[in-house]
This record gives sequence, C-alpha cells and structure tokens, in this order.
Amino acid sequence: MKVGEYVVQEGLYYTKTHEWLRVEDSKAVVGITDYAQRNLKDLVYVEFINADEEALDVGSVVKAGSQIAAIESVKATSEVYSPVSGKILELNRKLESNPELANKEPYGAGYLMIIEPTDLKADIEKLMDDKKYAEFVKQEAASHE
Amino acid sequence: MSGSLKITHLNSWHKKYAKMVEFAGYEMPIWYDKGIVEEHLAVRRSIGIFDVTHMGRFIFSGSDAENLLDYLTTNDVKNLKPGEGQYSVLCNERGGIIDDLIIYRLEEEKFFVVVNSANKVKDEKWFREHAKGRSVDIKNISDITPQFAVQGPKAIEVLNKISEVNLNQPYKFGEIIETKLAGYKVYATRTGYTGEDGYEISQLNVPLSNPKPAVDLWEKILEAGREYGITPVGLGARDTLRLEAGMPLHGSDITEETTPLEARLKFVVKLDKKEFIGKKALTEQKERKPSKLRVGLIMIDKGIPRPHLSIFAAGRIIGETTSGSYSPLLPKGYGVALGYVNRDYKQDGTIVYIEVHGKKRPAEVVKPRKMLKRIREKASQLSPT
Repeated sequence: MKVGEYVVQEGLYYTKTHEWLRVEDSKAVVGITDYAQRNLKDLVYVEFINADEEALDVGSVVKAGSQIAAIESVKATSEVYSPVSGKILELNRKLESNPELANKEPYGAGYLMIIEPTDLKADIEKLMDDKKYAEFVKQEAASHE
Repeated sequence: MSGSLKITHLNSWHKKYAKMVEFAGYEMPIWYDKGIVEEHLAVRRSIGIFDVTHMGRFIFSGSDAENLLDYLTTNDVKNLKPGEGQYSVLCNERGGIIDDLIIYRLEEEKFFVVVNSANKVKDEKWFREHAKGRSVDIKNISDITPQFAVQGPKAIEVLNKISEVNLNQPYKFGEIIETKLAGYKVYATRTGYTGEDGYEISQLNVPLSNPKPAVDLWEKILEAGREYGITPVGLGARDTLRLEAGMPLHGSDITEETTPLEARLKFVVKLDKKEFIGKKALTEQKERKPSKLRVGLIMIDKGIPRPHLSIFAAGRIIGETTSGSYSPLLPKGYGVALGYVNRDYKQDGTIVYIEVHGKKRPAEVVKPRKMLKRIREKASQLSPT
C-alpha cells in the first residue's frame, strides 16, 4: 500500500524508527523502510556497528531496540535499530559497496541482515503491523510538512 | 513548516519540486527530486542553478565608501577597479573572522557587497556602527534582489543564450557586469561556491510581493540549459560542492575564533595596507606563525568523516574536522573533510587519522585550494574505467 509517496509493504512488522521485519522460516529479515530511505535520500555507506561502535558480524548477538548499523547519507549518519533480539545469521555485505540498493529496493535486495530470533513472538507484539505503520507514516509525514 | 520562516521569491516553485528545510531563518530547498549526488555531478559535468537569495546583499555608496570597506576588511579595497570584485573577510580586533564576503566596485564611489545569510543581520549592524560620522550610505537590498548561481562547465554557454553581452569575453573570474539577462536588469558576477566556472546573478528591484520576474528569469535559465541537462541544485549539493573545492563555510570552518591566517586565507590579508580592524592581531600572529592551519583531508579508506571528529597522528590528537561528507566525485563510501591540524602536519601528502565511528581511518592532507584537483586524481585511480 502507499501513503502519499511512501510504500508500506503488506505483511511486514515495523518499528517507530522506520525499520521493517519480515518473518521467513521463523527467521527475521530486517531492513529500513521506504519512508526511511526517501527521507535520508542518497545513501552512500553502510557500516554494521553497534552503539559502542564495535563491528557486528555473523554470530553477533543483538537486542531488540539496540543499534545494528550506521547508515550514511550525504548529509548525515543515521542509526538503525534492531526490531528483534537474537543472533545475526547473515549480513547483507552488498550494501557496503552498493548502499544505493537500500534506496532502490528497501524491502528487497536492500535488506540489512537476517537474525535468528530468541523470542520472535514477544518482539513482534511490540511492533506495528502494516496498517498501524501506514497510519504512523501518515502522521510523521504531516508533522514534517 | 513554521510560519515564521523567511522565504525567497522562488518559494512556491521550490515547494513543487524540492524537500524544504530551515536554513539561517529561511525555508530553503535542500534537494530536488534527483537528490544531492545527481545535482552535484550535474554541476561538475555540465550545469546547475541555485537559488541563493537567502544571502545578504548591500550597496555602499558615497565618498567614504572605499575607506569604510577598506577599514572593515582585510583585503585591499583601494586596489579594486570598477568592474572588479574581491573575496575578503571581516575581522574583529582579535583577527577572528566575523564573516567572509565579496566586495565589487561598481563605480568609483559605489560598491556591491555580498555576505552570508546566517550573518547578514550581525554584519549590517557592524557596517552601520562603523559608518557613523562617515560620508557613506549603506542600503540593504537583500529582499529586493533575488540571486541565482549558475555553475558548471556549460554555465557561460547557457547564460550567453539569454545575455545582452558575451559573458565569456573579456570578463574574468571575480568581475561584475551590469547587464540584462532575458531582458531583466542584473548584476552578473563571475564567481561561485562550487569550484566550477559560472556566474552569480543578482536580479535588480524585484520585491518579494511581486516575485514573478524572478520566477520568470529562473525558468528562462532552466529553459536555456535544458539541452545540457541543467538541474536545480539545493543546499545539500551546495555544501558538498564547496567542500570538495576546499572552500570554507563560515560558522563551521571559519568563525570568530579562527583567523584568516589559520584558515589559509592569507591571500586576502594585506598587512601592508594602512589600517584595518584586526591588523595588530594578525601582524602578531604572522610573526609567531599560527599554531594550527586549515587543511583539506581526503579519506584513504571507506567511512564518512563528519564535523568535530578528532584527527590523530603519532598516537595523539593533532586536530579536529570542521566539515565532512561523502564526496560525490569518489566511489560510494569515500569522504572528504576540512579541518585544522597542528602546523607540523600541513604538508600535502601527510597521512593523518580521522576517528570515524570509533575507528581511526587514514586520510591524506592537501591544501584546501588544491583539494578538488586531488579528489579528481583520486577518483580516476579508485574507479574502474
């Protein structure tokens, strides 16, 4: 569905900080939303680091709400937060050389990582579904008019 | 967006195509639909147009106009011939930079002065305080003088299509021409803030209450540049363009706490002229040599430098960045910065380390004025041809 110019993909779960989560075979695929990429525009670099600026890798343990990446747009650095707790199974390292993937296909090839969740059900309860997120985006967009 | 923001003549036009932000009290475009990188590259490769109406514009006239400007600024105003312009700085008594500006002599006793948007209120106050008792009239024409920058290798060719005079010959960098563009009276100055050739166009006598002539001139320039893919450029790319060109931004790279000697702007400081504000402090600093100097920094590894990051060498902090961003001429992930380092590290080619996201990453020192040339060299080495 679309909210103004922003695409909100159906069937995903969303955070207030504009990350999405898709459940695939009880694993969590994580990325940034179309709203996030449109507002950041021109993504130029992605680093998988936590709030202590330590590099994250496959096997690193992350907590819901903790920083999992720093995304650089031309103007600024933005932190990305994990929607789930768990262990990193895969990092989308293509973003390190082609960060624009997250601009072009935020819900597809521009995903950030795959996480093996420790308590998926509990984490999902704290997230928004597509309809709630669409409403949230509407409000966010209006407040920035 | 807050209703208290000031706007330019092009406000409605921008709002149709751009993401708007607050800058120096104005509602201004930060980027249009194509985004910062494409706008930036359009200027480097062909042509772009910027609305810079938020800048401050003044006319100084009268028998003391020259004396006043010469006293307030560090460059030699007396040397300026009608039709010429000069980059300069306003200093306080400590030699700190109140603002950087360009002064053009229109006639023997008439000058056009362009200052930064964020400083124009402060500057005007400073001008008027020092004008007391002198025979000089200062007019703030900012609000009735929309100003556009047209920049890039195709800028002159495009402007010549709608210009009354040939803007290429005999005019040189820094000069001012009172002429007509698309039938509108303008001051055209061969200047810019991008490192590219081009003009800044100040359109005369267009009040905000009747912005139509400004919109029309803007659209005529867009029309003339269409065959070269002209793009409107927002403040985002304005910043990355000036950064790659090593040009300082007042409030970030130069402030009231830095002097023009530290900022590598020695070429605008004429210590041999009679008297000017800051002369004593700058003369003293020249004798004992500034301990820190402004440099350009080109990242060798990936990671985007930002302002206020520590710069290291030999295991200790030797400086701090003042501006930093991705450099659109370089492959994705590579950035450039400006900053101040201990003078021992000023040599071109010196390797220093900038702490980006907790990791010290190597960067090459280059003189600000040589930064764009060096980035272009790096770009050809880094990107596969």
